[in-house]
Amino acid sequence: MNEILQSFIALGSKNPMAKIGIDIAIIFLKIAVVMGIALLHVAYATYWERKVIGHMQVRLGPIEVGWHGLLQPIADGVKLFFKEDIIPADADKPLFYLAPVIFMVSALTSLSVLPFFEGFVIANINIGLLFLLAMSSLGAYGIIISGWASNSKYAFLGGLRSASQIISYEIAMGLSLVGVMIMAGSLNLSDIVRAQQQSPLGIFAIPQILGFFIFVVAAFAETNRLPFDLPEAESELVAGYFTEYSGFRFALFFLGEYTGMLIMSSIAVICFLGGWTLPQFVMNALPVLSKIPNFFWIIVFLVKVYAFMFFYYWVRATLPRYRYDQLMAIGWKLLIPLALLNIVITATLKIMKLI
Amino acid sequence: MKIGNIIKRLFFIEILKGLALTLKSMFTPAVTRRYPKVKRPVQPGFRGLHALAKDENGKMKCVGCGLCGAYCPSKCIYIYTSDGEDHTKVVDRYEIEALRCIYCGFCVEACPFGAITLSEHYEYSNYSRDDFYMTKEKLLSNWDKYFTGEKGGKYFEKFWGPKSKHFTGYEGQAVFRKIKNEK
Repeated sequence: MNEILQSFIALGSKNPMAKIGIDIAIIFLKIAVVMGIALLHVAYATYWERKVIGHMQVRLGPIEVGWHGLLQPIADGVKLFFKEDIIPADADKPLFYLAPVIFMVSALTSLSVLPFFEGFVIANINIGLLFLLAMSSLGAYGIIISGWASNSKYAFLGGLRSASQIISYEIAMGLSLVGVMIMAGSLNLSDIVRAQQQSPLGIFAIPQILGFFIFVVAAFAETNRLPFDLPEAESELVAGYFTEYSGFRFALFFLGEYTGMLIMSSIAVICFLGGWTLPQFVMNALPVLSKIPNFFWIIVFLVKVYAFMFFYYWVRATLPRYRYDQLMAIGWKLLIPLALLNIVITATLKIMKLI
Repeated sequence: MKIGNIIKRLFFIEILKGLALTLKSMFTPAVTRRYPKVKRPVQPGFRGLHALAKDENGKMKCVGCGLCGAYCPSKCIYIYTSDGEDHTKVVDRYEIEALRCIYCGFCVEACPFGAITLSEHYEYSNYSRDDFYMTKEKLLSNWDKYFTGEKGGKYFEKFWGPKSKHFTGYEGQAVFRKIKNEK
């Protein structure tokens, strides 16, 4: 195995065309690995959510399929795959087919810029954060198109609500991340993590507490999660924008939503909680830690991501849904002014060289 | 607005309280009873599937008087009798539509011989309506299934026992024991 790899590298150093081919092959391999692992995590995120919320409501959650219900996501997947795929007679068919794909693709594309541990990222681009924001708003197209193409009033209302909600919270979210950009001096996600490690506290969540709060609230709204799940409010709109979807198209929406949550948690971890790193003072206190190979730091990253996901579920189990005008009021009257204030304070401190 | 209220709203004290409550309830044991595996004990006097009582000789106690059918609020008991030898009444058919029954237990109270009973059995879901139409044979076999053994006997004695015990007097006349003693 090693000899084959060595011979490939030797070939690459001699022949520039072969080098390009090998690079492309490596990228495809990386994409396959990240996609596979991320989808597995998404599947088990649903299991974990049901388990956490179940226990918070003094229930057991899934427990019958496999040991403590561990095979439940697989059973769900198989069930959804073999369900009948119903398309409404009056639906706009091309758009109806397209909508879940847009939603899922925009969610999965965001994975390409996330650094999971030192040196591992599919596309190490300099506008990583901007790319993530762009992709998360592109997902709104999937929702709006599905609402329109379904030709159902519930789906349509859900789509409309989602459109206005995502547009409103996109602003607050983008502005809340500006503070991080100012502090790190970069839009590259790996650079942001490294800048955090070198900062005295090790995480941006403490100096950027205001930005972190705004980001968390906006992230809940962006991913249509409780307490801001108005686009899919069960008691009002049946299921919201995916009311008319069934079978695997529904599963695509479902997976897209959970992938979105995973990505929002990852952004929070990368931008505010220090990514795969531990704060400098912890590293100084335990010098052994610096000997751990790069790969194993993904565990730190995953623990942080799952802690944030747990917060998602925790809030879902606690808070009721907001009214629509309250949602808009929080977005426009509270979060955006606060985010602007945060930018002004951070920028002032940066100019005075205090941070 | 008072300062206390401002602090409450600023730091989301109420929401934090709620979050603390849900976190606490996460670590309390679940109240779920995993039904098909763990069954809830049936309370004494439970009114489940019907059964027709048999006497010591294994003969049906029912005499076909029709009181249960007359009492039944949902009118789901059908009794057909005919003349047998020496003009004795023979119960040809005794049928209960279990799907229409409301399990009020009036038939049990009405029966002067303790012939109709309600067992503890409640898991009898099925695929066709015919399976819920209880014929005489089914009802008698229910007696064998659910009222044999010590437990069944006690249950029967305590709850659905023959009310005819409380009647006495010479044959053919029903008098309350109390009234007889007063005489």
